[in-house]
Amino acid sequence: MSQFITAVLTSLSSGAIYALMSISLVLVWRSTRVINFAQAGQAVITTYVGYEIISRTGSFWLALIVAVLTGALLGAGIDRFFMRPIFKRIQSGPIAVIAPVVATLGLLGVIQSLIGMIWGIDYQSIEAPVSTNGFEIGGSVIAFNRFNLFVLICVTTAMILLTLLFQRTNIGLALRASAYSPEIAKLSGIKVDAVRTFGWALAGAASGLAGMLYIPGYYLHPNAMDLLLVFGFIAAVIGGLDSLIGAVAGAMILGFGISFSRSYISTEILFPTAFILLILVLIVKPGGLFAAKKKRGA
Amino acid sequence: MISSKKRLVIFILIGWILLLVSDQASPLRLYQGSYIATYALAIASIILLTGYSGQLSLGHGALMAVGAYAGALAIDSAKLNPMLGLVVATLIAGLFGLLLGLVVARLSGPYLAGTTLALAVALPPLANQFEFLGAQQGLPFDVGAGPERFGEEFSQYQWYFWICALASLIMIWWIANLISSKYGRIFRALRDNPVAAQLSGINVGRQKVVAFAISSGAAGLSGGLLVILLGGVSPSAFPLGVSFFVLTGAVITGLYNLKGVILGGLILVAMPEIADSVVSRVGGSEGLTTSLPDFLVSALLILAVVFTPNGPGHILKRHH
Repeated sequence: MSQFITAVLTSLSSGAIYALMSISLVLVWRSTRVINFAQAGQAVITTYVGYEIISRTGSFWLALIVAVLTGALLGAGIDRFFMRPIFKRIQSGPIAVIAPVVATLGLLGVIQSLIGMIWGIDYQSIEAPVSTNGFEIGGSVIAFNRFNLFVLICVTTAMILLTLLFQRTNIGLALRASAYSPEIAKLSGIKVDAVRTFGWALAGAASGLAGMLYIPGYYLHPNAMDLLLVFGFIAAVIGGLDSLIGAVAGAMILGFGISFSRSYISTEILFPTAFILLILVLIVKPGGLFAAKKKRGA
Repeated sequence: MISSKKRLVIFILIGWILLLVSDQASPLRLYQGSYIATYALAIASIILLTGYSGQLSLGHGALMAVGAYAGALAIDSAKLNPMLGLVVATLIAGLFGLLLGLVVARLSGPYLAGTTLALAVALPPLANQFEFLGAQQGLPFDVGAGPERFGEEFSQYQWYFWICALASLIMIWWIANLISSKYGRIFRALRDNPVAAQLSGINVGRQKVVAFAISSGAAGLSGGLLVILLGGVSPSAFPLGVSFFVLTGAVITGLYNLKGVILGGLILVAMPEIADSVVSRVGGSEGLTTSLPDFLVSALLILAVVFTPNGPGHILKRHH
């Protein structure tokens, strides 16, 4: 029983972090039709900024806020000064689909190697702001701690804020409209380019949060977020890439699949589980679980 | 377009020159040359898939691993001749690509990229689970010393170079023939306009699988060659970085530019060397030393995709 409860709780907290990453990827995909591989780089460099602030001031909270804001700024900057010129340059031909994706891969490499040059490649760690000793259930300690709970609370809060933004504000409406049909949105007077940059900023903020919540249970390294990128991506694809709810659902499916197979089958079965889940979903629904009804060309 | 007869002559000529040169080259140069040949083949497999049939794979490292393991098993357990082992590597990886292709052929764009990416992270660790694949130690991939009739002068590195250069040349020659044949036109049609291709009677799904399988076979062979140079195959030989590395090489070469693959291989091998010499001259921390090569390769990738998206050869002449 305690094994089952532990598996459920760890599924939730790891699924929550995958969800932040998959939401970042989906936000960018919806507005730009690009899978932003540099998201892992953005997430890790904002976490290094957070690390720097913690080592100077000792405050995790300040670091968390600064990391999220830096993430938003960085995301907006990358869209405005990196992606937009590339889209302007390469508009036609078969390369137009591949070039932006490859450019984000290149950007990922550049960010990670820059981190290596600035902070070095040694493993660093960030102290969690709350205890990381497992809770006790009926006398036995389980693999779920205060920090995992903190992660869950943070991610849930972020999701609620994001939902309110999308459903209750004008900018949210503009975001949805531009994702649904950029041409019609433009005709209705929405500044699609600005909205797009805002989408990148939101994605950057979410991945900044993901970094600060993921690293304390792990270690800090230029490549530390690569796996999270892969899981976030798999979650987003399972969810259908276009849907924010799908991104969260995909992340939770992945979180549960991985935690349960780890605790009931083998701890080393992490990646094969993720791959099998992805293949199964794509065989049944090639467009992902929450794919938009209107088929979009990739 | 060059005729197939002329192409054969050109390839034989290149092979002959390479083998002649190998007598004069130092062991280090031969070793680097072997890597260049291996990467050139991996790049060619991506050019065939991404450049010609328009499918973006982020998991070619996994396909290389399949080939490497198949070849190692053939040599180590089935005691096959190493050259046959390389053939097995190609065929098994091709077969694997065929099966995978049947599953993923319906996928396009980001879905295909996502699946291949997941494959690249999922597959190599799986080898840890199986005893017959050598678990973490992996398997040896021993091609032995060169044949005795080549004489005492014939060094181990020269033998490696011969194997890598000839295997790559033969495979790339075959790919070049394929691209200039009916299949090349079909693949280009898939890439440029799938709907029009379907209307002209091309079975789009099946041809995409064909492209995927052939590309996998070529990747498998290059994986086999790579582990000859590494001295054996293990899960750690094929991290995610390998997939990105060869994709970078393909983009720098130009995704439609099969002629440039040797240049691409050369750049992939030369960049770390250049970075090393820069660092040793400037002097710097460990972080700088290890990060500079990655930085240069990534920056070059961005520059290539921004300024010469159709490959260096296409700056002057318009594509098509």
